[in-house]
Amino acid sequence: MEQVNQGVRENVYPQAAQAFGRTLRQAVINAATPAAAVLVALACGAALLWLNGFDGSDVVTVMIFGSFQDMRSVGEILLKATPLILIGAGLCVAFRCSIWNIGAEGQLYAGAIAATLVGTNFDGLSVWVHAPLVMLAGALAGAAWAGIAGYLKVRFQASEIVTTIMLNYIALILTSYLVTGPMRDASAAYPQSARLIREAWTPRIVSDMRLHIGIIVAVVLAVALYIFLQRSSRGFSLRVVGLNPYAARYAGMQVARNVMIAMCISGAMAGLAGAFEVAGVTHRLYQNISPGYGFEGIAVALLAGNNPLAAIVSGGLFATLRSGSEVLQITSQVPQVLVLIIQGIVILSVVAFTRLRDIRRIVA
Amino acid sequence: MRLSRRTFVEGVAALTIAVSIPAMAQAEDFKMGLLVPGSVSEEGWNRIGFNALKGVEEQLGAKISYVELQQNPASFEKAFRDYASQGYKVILGHGFEFQDAALEVALDYPDTYFLISSSSIHEGNVIGLNTDTSQPFYLMGVIAAKMGKKAGLVGGMEIPPIQQAFVGFKNGAKSVNPAFPISEAYIGNFTDTTAAKEAALSMISQGADFVVPNASGATVGGYQAISESGPAVRSFSIFSDFTQVAPNNILGLYVADYAQGVVEVVHSIKDGSPPKENIIFGLKDPKVISFTFRDDGPVSVPEDIRAEVKAISAKIAAGEIKTDAQ
Amino acid sequence: MDDMMFLTFLATLAGAAWRLATPLIFASIGEIFSERAGVLNIGLEGTMLVGAFCGFAAAFATGSIPLGLLAGIAGGMLFGAIFAFFTITIKADQIVVGAALNLLGMGLTAFLFRTYYVSTGKGIEIAQPVQIPFLSDIPFLGEAFFRQNLIVYSTVLVAILASLVLFRTSFGLTLRAVGEHPKAVDVAGRDVASYRYAAVLVGTGLAGLGGAFLTLGHSNQFVEGITSGRGFIALAVVVFARWSPIGAFFVSLLFGLFYALQLMLQAQASIVVPYQVLQALPYIMTIVTLVVVRGKGAAPSKLGQPYEMR
Repeated sequence: MEQVNQGVRENVYPQAAQAFGRTLRQAVINAATPAAAVLVALACGAALLWLNGFDGSDVVTVMIFGSFQDMRSVGEILLKATPLILIGAGLCVAFRCSIWNIGAEGQLYAGAIAATLVGTNFDGLSVWVHAPLVMLAGALAGAAWAGIAGYLKVRFQASEIVTTIMLNYIALILTSYLVTGPMRDASAAYPQSARLIREAWTPRIVSDMRLHIGIIVAVVLAVALYIFLQRSSRGFSLRVVGLNPYAARYAGMQVARNVMIAMCISGAMAGLAGAFEVAGVTHRLYQNISPGYGFEGIAVALLAGNNPLAAIVSGGLFATLRSGSEVLQITSQVPQVLVLIIQGIVILSVVAFTRLRDIRRIVA
Repeated sequence: MRLSRRTFVEGVAALTIAVSIPAMAQAEDFKMGLLVPGSVSEEGWNRIGFNALKGVEEQLGAKISYVELQQNPASFEKAFRDYASQGYKVILGHGFEFQDAALEVALDYPDTYFLISSSSIHEGNVIGLNTDTSQPFYLMGVIAAKMGKKAGLVGGMEIPPIQQAFVGFKNGAKSVNPAFPISEAYIGNFTDTTAAKEAALSMISQGADFVVPNASGATVGGYQAISESGPAVRSFSIFSDFTQVAPNNILGLYVADYAQGVVEVVHSIKDGSPPKENIIFGLKDPKVISFTFRDDGPVSVPEDIRAEVKAISAKIAAGEIKTDAQ
Repeated sequence: MDDMMFLTFLATLAGAAWRLATPLIFASIGEIFSERAGVLNIGLEGTMLVGAFCGFAAAFATGSIPLGLLAGIAGGMLFGAIFAFFTITIKADQIVVGAALNLLGMGLTAFLFRTYYVSTGKGIEIAQPVQIPFLSDIPFLGEAFFRQNLIVYSTVLVAILASLVLFRTSFGLTLRAVGEHPKAVDVAGRDVASYRYAAVLVGTGLAGLGGAFLTLGHSNQFVEGITSGRGFIALAVVVFARWSPIGAFFVSLLFGLFYALQLMLQAQASIVVPYQVLQALPYIMTIVTLVVVRGKGAAPSKLGQPYEMR
């Protein structure tokens, strides 16, 4: 279908504008499904509230617009979106390669631990060195943690679904051990690490807002991953492995190396997200530093259709929904768990719509 | 309490005006917000915070609102700001973990009072409210050592309110019998009732005959285990009334009416005479901490022990006994 | 510890291990049915929560444990039907749908519990232990193995039955064939989709039962997130057990054993290992086992793939 249009328009538009138009049109088509899915989910949420005696009429408005009150609240949404975009974009790469990395949560914790270690030591470095070092440590630790599962898959054919889930638990337990044991801030009553050295903190964008440069890093990296997947030969071979590992092997591609790369990229992104949570938000390591960003990131990637570029939007959307559910609880005392229901329905609607579209295309 | 969207929008509009004309803010309703780290549906810590909020609503006629933050440190600061910017006069952060975020926000909102549970801070408009749970647990330890052979303590996560309680229990027991055996286990979360139950059962099978669970939502599993193990195992009901779950085992109740304590503090703020230092509720505040014995159960604490406990309680209230010494 | 103490310790450990294993046994055997037919359902956690909630709600309303258990199974199957519709009928990706159902299960049960059941206080009367005559009087062994409730005993039956159905009936044979060579089944004139539906419904029914055990056979209350990750552990059990129901029974017991051991060793003041090490042990063990018993071997060859009729 696309090629027919291309033929017709070849003489009308210059090459670049034509490519842009195509991308834009594709983007609109691609965005239609998730947008419809979100509306369906919000409608279901409203119906659920109404059935259970709440005033459901304001769900849509509050969930989506309620959290946009001023600059600061927008900043807070972006702050929440940062880890979701990072993890979501990273998982897009893994999922494209058909690597089911369910372990972003554990990789986030691994990153947070490493970031804390680097951020609480090495006093005296300048912010230009220390802050990036913390991010690097987080990314490396996340990649290494994911690399374990990748290596076990490549070397022993151990299912990455199972190993990454196990590694999640192990990372959480390790964090609990560290903050109640060796890394505990002795002066604090609460189990937490020492405060990170100020130079290690992720710089803020505006000094009186909590939003830090992590959001910029997240968006840049998401774009970079998109380019990597779509434009590089390695990205191409990753996608081929995902579509058909046998064909990929036949074509002389190194399946094992691609699996490792996909795993480590997604792990590094999750680890970086963990580093930002510690260095940009809490400035300390806690037992519960993530409210499940690693699992929500899976949903973000799925909603984005495994496209890192779209993960920027879907990550932002999920952050908005989460903030919205907090507002909804404050204004209408609706239980915040509503957001889980809505997220679940969003995913189901997306797969349903996508499948229906595919089926219609086949029939037509 | 449930606002419709229109009132919300109007509220926001009104706020915008209120912010631009500070004098008008005075005429507004007295509002109090609450931040809890988990679900208020559990019989436990979060419910206590919620009850405090309801108490303020009922007794002081305040407008109230709460938000559950699922132990997400990244949301704390935003939630404080949301309430503060909407003109809430008092915001209760229910847990020590809220302290850092409150200190940060408090600088921008000098007219708002930030109360922090389980904290002993007093910096400007950030005031710590601490219930010294080691005191009632000290009394339980005394009773355990006098009536039992071995005690078992089942905790949720290793966090200060729980550790402090257990330290009090151990100190109390040791004051009676320095060699009194006490075993202790943490289930690592606050949701797994099954684990709390099995931990209690295993302690009981190893000879513990005085068991106290302290694991927020999962606590009920501990009482279930105690109830199933027969009347030879004794316990105390903590925070909420669990006598229905283990009617044959519970000797008495330690119920913290944190609400009453919070109401008094908020009242003083409302009247313009906020507390001058951080607040510690203890056995000296019988309105807040009630430690009572049961008489309707098949087992009860003998009169002589009651008298002794009463005497110790008076000493603790007078500050003569340190219950939380490590 | 003297010998008597040690024996008591072991007996308590074994009894606790079996109880803690029970939800895992149900859920993992259920998942084996589903995976043997080629359907990977990672939505077990959500399904178990739905079972736990429905079981609690029904028993709370009627006061009847059997009705509660039935409601738990029915709730699980209803959730399973959603999963089956998305993955089998419209052939959506199984992992995606499973992930969505986990969110949905967590959200819905918490939402409904808060709306209707907060402050149910006393909760429900749970299933009582049934002492098997004579056997329950055997020292130590009796305590561990013959003083459990009927739901716990039934795990043995379920494991044996599941094994018989899978390996000794024509239904089981076809079901496994659907996971290995769906085309052959199709050519032989049997409907692949209905077998997969059946497998998923059996699987989610059992997962619902596993969840219902938590509220009806162990704690008397529903608590948000009461499954505490057991649905994910059950997934690991399946792989660890090489897709065998009898194997799943014993692997679940092993997990239960470690969990119980962890709780019990903490209570031993003489042992100074950080309890987190013990907590992490089952998870580390799973990974090690995957490496030791390596190779795809028993995994159904079409696991996770929708069947496209040609």
